[in-house]
Amino acid sequence: MGQAELEERLFELVGYMVTSGRNLLDETSLYGPFRLLDAASRLILLLEDEEIISSRLSTIRERIDAGKYSVMTSPGEFRTFLDSLVDALVDHMNPGKEKGGDQLGKRTEISRG
Amino acid sequence: MDLQDAIRGRRSIRAFRNEEVPRDLLAQLIEAAIWAPSASNAQTWRFVIATEPKRIRSIKTVSPGLLGDPAAVIAVCQDLAAARERGGTLGETFLAPVDAAMATENLLLAAYAEGLGTCVIASFHRGAVGRVLGLPEGIEPMLLVSVGWPAEAPPAPSRSREGRVFFEVYNGSG
Repeated sequence: MGQAELEERLFELVGYMVTSGRNLLDETSLYGPFRLLDAASRLILLLEDEEIISSRLSTIRERIDAGKYSVMTSPGEFRTFLDSLVDALVDHMNPGKEKGGDQLGKRTEISRG
Repeated sequence: MDLQDAIRGRRSIRAFRNEEVPRDLLAQLIEAAIWAPSASNAQTWRFVIATEPKRIRSIKTVSPGLLGDPAAVIAVCQDLAAARERGGTLGETFLAPVDAAMATENLLLAAYAEGLGTCVIASFHRGAVGRVLGLPEGIEPMLLVSVGWPAEAPPAPSRSREGRVFFEVYNGSG
């Protein structure tokens, strides 16, 4: 994608986020998290189209796109989906592979459930 | 297509194939829309059909509810001054949006019967969309409808009846 097209798509994404900000004043609060997720998905897609490849980001985008519309059908399911997405994010941070931090003067290992 | 099949089969489509929708077909959808009931036969609705990709992208930029890349976006508008003249305050504030909604449902069913996918969008910035479409003051966009060839077949959300339908006298919770 050329610079002009990239700038256009970034402009559209910013426009989406700004207009969402305005519209959310009057919309159901559930659409707030939905718009954030959708913006994240659009951003990752833009990066992919720019051939900035990250397998974990692509995985997150696929998960977002697969579950985001549950907001339309089941708030409870949407909440569960969001929790699972945050869990997936943490998984992709590779926690537990680093040494544990000092705690009360004693070094401990982080245990993973 | 059987009417009940159309009513039950239509879904909100948010993923479209990258194919044009012929202008004649779009005109057919508007024809179906204008055969909807209209309070006091006011017919104060107005329709603006966007098909140019650049214009659709501009609309999408200020319409968070517009998802996917449709071949066309139809703005179902109302001439509020005309609605007020025909129906008073009730006409402007209540009947105009109701008329727009009824026309929109006709449009959706006609589109589905032609194999098209649609989605009704209320989440858009009215002033911004009005500018993109060149709407003069007093022509209010009520709803947007994205139109295109569907690239998905979402399942039907359940429909509840219990506590919602009563014969003769309401018998549910307040």
